[in-house]
Amino acid sequence: MEFVPGGELSRRIRQGDVSAESELIRQFEPGLRVLLRRRTGGDHGLLQDLVQETLLIVIQRLRGEGIDDPQKLAAFAAQTARNLAIASLRKAERQRTDVDSEATDRKADPTQSVDRIASDHEAALAVRALLRELPQPRDRLMLKRFYLDDHDKETICQELDLSEAAFNQALSRARRRFRQILEERGFAKRDLLSLGL
Amino acid sequence: MNQELIEQYVAGRLSESEAQAFEDYCLENPEFARQVEYEQRLKAGIAQVARGSTAEFIRAPHPLRWSLAAAASVLLAFVAMFYLWNPGTRAVPPPILAAMTDSTPHDGNSLRLALVRGSDTAPTLPPGMVRVEIVGLFDLEHQYSVALDRLEQDRKIDTVATLSDQRPNSPVSLVVLIDSRQLRAGPYSLRVRKQASGEEALDFGFVKN
Repeated sequence: MEFVPGGELSRRIRQGDVSAESELIRQFEPGLRVLLRRRTGGDHGLLQDLVQETLLIVIQRLRGEGIDDPQKLAAFAAQTARNLAIASLRKAERQRTDVDSEATDRKADPTQSVDRIASDHEAALAVRALLRELPQPRDRLMLKRFYLDDHDKETICQELDLSEAAFNQALSRARRRFRQILEERGFAKRDLLSLGL
Repeated sequence: MNQELIEQYVAGRLSESEAQAFEDYCLENPEFARQVEYEQRLKAGIAQVARGSTAEFIRAPHPLRWSLAAAASVLLAFVAMFYLWNPGTRAVPPPILAAMTDSTPHDGNSLRLALVRGSDTAPTLPPGMVRVEIVGLFDLEHQYSVALDRLEQDRKIDTVATLSDQRPNSPVSLVVLIDSRQLRAGPYSLRVRKQASGEEALDFGFVKN
């Protein structure tokens, strides 16, 4: 996919080019997801929400007054996302320090909340599938040590009696397979299950 | 940018200024950002699985479990094929979830679904054949899948209907048709996913009274 410079995107959006807005979304969404994932503490709903809000703000700004330096559109979008994340965090903090028991009860009602599915279930399902597929118990333990316990590679290699090359190879294989599982899943499995039921 | 830097970012080992420079680079390099996101999701997925129990990381694969799963899959395939090839054995209900075109008949009721941060209440689905506009950011060059999930108690999700290969109507909306008459009362969610992208689905909640 060809990267369209910020200046060009800004100019086209200002002129009302809808395809440029789609282009902006396609270009910036992955990076915004990375940035906001780090700042939303695993709250999947909030992440999605902030990504959308950021893109809408950026598009509206470009449709209207524009930005000072269109060449730095990516940096502007990134900073907008950071500001939104900070504001969201402050709001959450305020809510935590100003608890209203009645409101808490309302939030706990599962039939009324739209944000019940807050965590990244797809990633958890893909990890489960990955763990089932890994032939060596050592590979599963290696993933746990690396991603969950945050041990460094050297320590893990020593503990599991692995060479660094073997460690990198196993990790790279696991990453590839994880990505493949997520991409394959799509709705295919859900469709099959609905058919079966 | 290399894999080691991705690992350091995801593990939170970069300084704030380094992390911000890394993020700015991600915004200008979407394919690289996708690679980083997979790493973030792998770490988050592992943490989520481990939250229940770390046994899955330690236990050996169980050959009998795989045999049973394979047998169940074969049986399921036979049952599905039987039903597909013998249409007379089942009644075909009208679709609960359908694509919406200009010529699709509906009762005039409509519902607009958007992600609203901090909202505690879900919109209510009107009766009849309802035109549902999903508001979000869509890529016109991609197709989307839509799944209608019923949210049961104890966080169980029951997929009621799915629809694939949908094109958004504009960069900010995708429209589908829901037959409200066929839905039981309760909370539901429309899960919208960009197909063949590996990106996470967006969930739009609503309630059927």
